[in-house]
Amino acid sequence: MPRKNHIAKLIVALDSAVDWFIPASLANDNNARKQARLFLISHLLGPFIGNTVPVSLYVFDPTPRWDIGVLAVSITGFWVFPFVLRAIGNYNCLALLSIQNLTFCILWSCFFYGGVFSPTLPWVLTIPILAFFYIGGAARAQTIAIFMFAFDLVVFGLCSFLLDAPVNDIPHGAMQGLGVISTIAAAAYVSMMAVYYARAIASQTELEAVRRQQIETAESLRKATLAAERAGKAKSEFLAKMSHELRTPLNAVIGYSQMLLEEAEDTGDDEDVPDIERILAAGAHLLRLVNNVLDLSKIEAGHMELFLQDFSLEVVVQAAIEEVRREIGKNRNSLSVDIAGDIPAIHGDQAKTQNALSNLIQNAAKFTLDGSISIVCRKVPDTADDCFEIVVTDTGIGIEPRCLPHIFERFAVVNEETATKYGGTGIGLALTRELCRLMGGTVDAASEPGRGSTFTLTLPFVMDDGKRRPSVRGKARSEAPQASLYEKKAA
Amino acid sequence: MTKILIVEDNEMNLDMLTRRLVRQGFEVCAALDGERGVRAADTESPDLILMDVALGEMDGWEATTLIKANPKTAAIPIITLTAHALASDQRKSIEIGCADFDTKPIDMPRLLSKIKNALGH
Repeated sequence: MPRKNHIAKLIVALDSAVDWFIPASLANDNNARKQARLFLISHLLGPFIGNTVPVSLYVFDPTPRWDIGVLAVSITGFWVFPFVLRAIGNYNCLALLSIQNLTFCILWSCFFYGGVFSPTLPWVLTIPILAFFYIGGAARAQTIAIFMFAFDLVVFGLCSFLLDAPVNDIPHGAMQGLGVISTIAAAAYVSMMAVYYARAIASQTELEAVRRQQIETAESLRKATLAAERAGKAKSEFLAKMSHELRTPLNAVIGYSQMLLEEAEDTGDDEDVPDIERILAAGAHLLRLVNNVLDLSKIEAGHMELFLQDFSLEVVVQAAIEEVRREIGKNRNSLSVDIAGDIPAIHGDQAKTQNALSNLIQNAAKFTLDGSISIVCRKVPDTADDCFEIVVTDTGIGIEPRCLPHIFERFAVVNEETATKYGGTGIGLALTRELCRLMGGTVDAASEPGRGSTFTLTLPFVMDDGKRRPSVRGKARSEAPQASLYEKKAA
Repeated sequence: MTKILIVEDNEMNLDMLTRRLVRQGFEVCAALDGERGVRAADTESPDLILMDVALGEMDGWEATTLIKANPKTAAIPIITLTAHALASDQRKSIEIGCADFDTKPIDMPRLLSKIKNALGH
């Protein structure tokens, strides 16, 4: 529908032209802006319609006089109003002035062309209608407008009574034609305003409909969020419960295997010892997995607390290695440990530090074949000596740069291929990051595919269980700051 | 011979712990719930009590409080055992007068050293 499109474009252009005249003081108030728009439409288009009257008077009057000029100037004067509004912004005053000007134009033409029989008389009706459009509900302006109108009528009456009404020589038929033209022009003018006003109301209704819809959308969003939260909570609770249920029989498996080993030691009957050790190792591995799930769901549910005590870093590192010694040996990896001598006792959560570290060592052992794993513990030099770091470096398969940023996400395995080949649930690193956050530290990863990976745990010497530090995300750097280390090794 | 009372509602855990402690040379008696644990503390007069926290109707905390309230059993050292190392559990066990606190699964050498400490050996 190209025609409809043209009209729509025209309306948009008109709207933007109208908006250009609206001063900032009115633009922010929705109602004031709407009124100003009506005012501007009336003043920008009105003179086109209004000037048909002086033009036809000039055409039909065999002896046109100066009063037609005054009328035309007054009507054209409406075009000044929008510019004054933009310049000074005093809307109410301008609206009253405009009504006054309109009244003057109508009464002036009535006075010179036939008094109460004037063809311009129907325009009188436009005065209250336009006053309503311009002023709206402003009580004081309404009163002033009514008094002004009354005053104008009185002056008109006095003039008609006291002064001799000028006689014009327009033929009777032409007068009738003038009446028709003038009435049509007045009707067109009022219709234009009414149409614009109706459009403003419609757009307001539309706006309200949009707002209602937004409220409804917000409500359904809120419900969805609540449902998601409930589902998340249910999941965490399920995981916690499930892990607890798994731990009980698992503890029995581990406990009885340990007991059998102790008994074998007592009796000297070591025939079954290798088998029992396998059961014990498998049980311990399973328990680690279950514990990780339980810990992660506890952190998610906000139930994890720190258990602070003084401990030695060396003990923790040895215990973490002990936890995953089998995995280190399985892939024929060598292990080196270097703990700096100047690290003091740590006040923190021993078990969680150990768990965060053992997950890293386990990963290093899993993804490295016939290589080496090194664990280096040292003070972090540029943190005023209140942090230490544990750096776990391996010479394994490494991590591709595109995967590196995601490795600390829950259930993230680098890709399906490695997941199938090496196994893994994608919980270990996520848990390590959460544990580090909880303890006020960070974990970082750097890697070069094919050469190995470096994971760095940074933790404070003195942990704090009250207020959590602002959480520092486990950053994953894709550039490899440890590259020089590999180079040196290769050289 | 040192006599240890184990209050534990899981039969396998109870069986394991009993057998391992017996092998270490302790005399062991057992109670399967909190109420029976409080009674056994009175009748058996053990030298030490290992108290599981997560018991049925009467939990380990309540049983411990009752044992501590009875003048006859108040002096018996109690070590509480929980499944999780929680700071709140540790604080609570100290508040109600326990000698020590340990976590399950049992690490035998660690538990033995805690038992020795509690007995004052």
